[in-house]
Amino acid sequence: MAEIRVLIVDDEEPARLVIKKYLQSHSDMVLVGECSNGFEALKRIQQAQPDIIFLDIQMPKISGFELLELLDEKPVIIFSTAFDQYALKAFEASAADYLLKPYSQERFAEAMNRARLFLLDRTEHDQALNSLVLRREQETEYLSRIIVKDGSKIQILPVEKLLRLEAQDDYVMLFTEHGTSLKKKTMKFFEQHLDSKEFVRIHRSHIIRISFIRQIELFGKESYKVTLKDGTRLPVSKSGHARLKQMLE
Amino acid sequence: MMHPLLGNRSYLNIYFAAWLVLAAAQAVILVFTQELAWGLALLDGLTFNTMYAALGVSYWFMVKALAGDNVSFLRTVENHGFAALATSLLWIGAGYVILTHVFSPGREYVAFLKATLVWRGLIGILNYFITISLYHLYILSVRLRQRAVKEAELKTLVKEAELRSLRFQVNPHFIFNSLNSVNSLTLTNPEKAGEMTVKLGNFLRYTLAKGDQKTSLLREELDSMRLYLDIEKVRFGDKIEYDERCPESCRSMKIPGMILQPLFENAIKHGVYESLTPVKIRFDCQRDGDFLKMRLQNSLDDENIQRTGAGIGLKNVRDRLERMYGMKNLFAIEKTDGYFTVRLFIPVKET
Repeated sequence: MAEIRVLIVDDEEPARLVIKKYLQSHSDMVLVGECSNGFEALKRIQQAQPDIIFLDIQMPKISGFELLELLDEKPVIIFSTAFDQYALKAFEASAADYLLKPYSQERFAEAMNRARLFLLDRTEHDQALNSLVLRREQETEYLSRIIVKDGSKIQILPVEKLLRLEAQDDYVMLFTEHGTSLKKKTMKFFEQHLDSKEFVRIHRSHIIRISFIRQIELFGKESYKVTLKDGTRLPVSKSGHARLKQMLE
Repeated sequence: MMHPLLGNRSYLNIYFAAWLVLAAAQAVILVFTQELAWGLALLDGLTFNTMYAALGVSYWFMVKALAGDNVSFLRTVENHGFAALATSLLWIGAGYVILTHVFSPGREYVAFLKATLVWRGLIGILNYFITISLYHLYILSVRLRQRAVKEAELKTLVKEAELRSLRFQVNPHFIFNSLNSVNSLTLTNPEKAGEMTVKLGNFLRYTLAKGDQKTSLLREELDSMRLYLDIEKVRFGDKIEYDERCPESCRSMKIPGMILQPLFENAIKHGVYESLTPVKIRFDCQRDGDFLKMRLQNSLDDENIQRTGAGIGLKNVRDRLERMYGMKNLFAIEKTDGYFTVRLFIPVKET
């Protein structure tokens, strides 16, 4: 059997040490790296292509969950956390595997056995991850920041900087003063998780910041266009116009 | 509730004295308006008024029986109406019998007595209602006083409970992560694991002990904070740089117990937990007039984008100080060029 590639992501060195020690009794596993934050982790994941990631939830700047969102092809994830009631609720509801710090060698071995099975048949694991991500989405009310990936670099985009969003196939393009970034999410997600006092969906493919509108003009019969402060002109759908009217009244 | 008259000797004396005055007043009126002889007038006044005084004492039981919460208004009116009528009849009947049969007041007086019986009955009913009104007033005043006492007791209880809950607030996340570090050290460095266990034990014991005490010495608080930081240093290594400047004279000053812990925890949480680079934490303090001024600063990563709002821990500290000292502005926070600063002003109490 080919060796299984393992990556550790945890911001505390002693916590990483525990995993390294415990791994020593699993000879089919090989450690391909250890990272102390999400930024390092994304790079390492792209280079080393691990099969299994031990992922801490609470880390500086970006959490384990946020890192997970950025991964297109997800390895088998074993979460670890000390105490986080929200995370625990999400885990329990999604059946994803997680280690509660501190954990024993036996509990660790159990997680490894599950992970080996998942590597052979990923269905159950992927389902659990999807339901976990979905659950986290439902729990967030309004976003305050958006984590985006530019190659192997992670950017944190505060929502205050966001000017408009445009649908691009499976992605949404986010526009700020400084440029654009792509995020793999749906327009519907952003419509639901951006403050509706600040943003309005004017079209199937467009969400705009209300304060970024320069003017709205009639374009043909019963059809409108919006001009933004940077000069961009965007179409407004019928329902988009209704929402816009309601917002501006 | 005790009988207001039978339960209190001096009230009872005043009560009977008042009735004697009334008896005398009645006699004077009878002498000057009805031209009765002084002897007869006094006899009349004393007989009726002392009898009424005795009856009045017993009305209390009627009032008390009807003063419960479950008695309907209609029933109260019925009962008092009946009692007023019955006691008045008893009163004038007994008075008439005593005056005409025990004494021999003469035909003229008996005729006068007969002519005034209806009026006397009406006065009896009036007396009844005046007496029970006074009793009701008494009950009301007692209840008001009791309620005031109860409310004051409740307020102190609530305040104590609030203060207690504000005092103990060690983050469970910290405890479990520290235990995980202990687990790690047992695998790699058993000696250090022992050290860490002791530190964790001492720190937790201090936080629990101070949960019941209102004040502690600044020295004790700072010792406990160094323990806290030592434990966090095991987890985060060189990511924490701590600098403490405190004059020796300040160390023996009294401050609210566990008041520094939320400040340090905040510095760790928003500084160290959120930073990729080392974080400077700096404590200093000085005596300034009637206040002990303390300041805790932590450096912030410049591109730190807050995930969570300002801590509830800090808000608790502000509330606690306000409650303890009854003063505002004992707490201030400030965020400037890469530093987050919390300032506390503790009024110094000379002992």
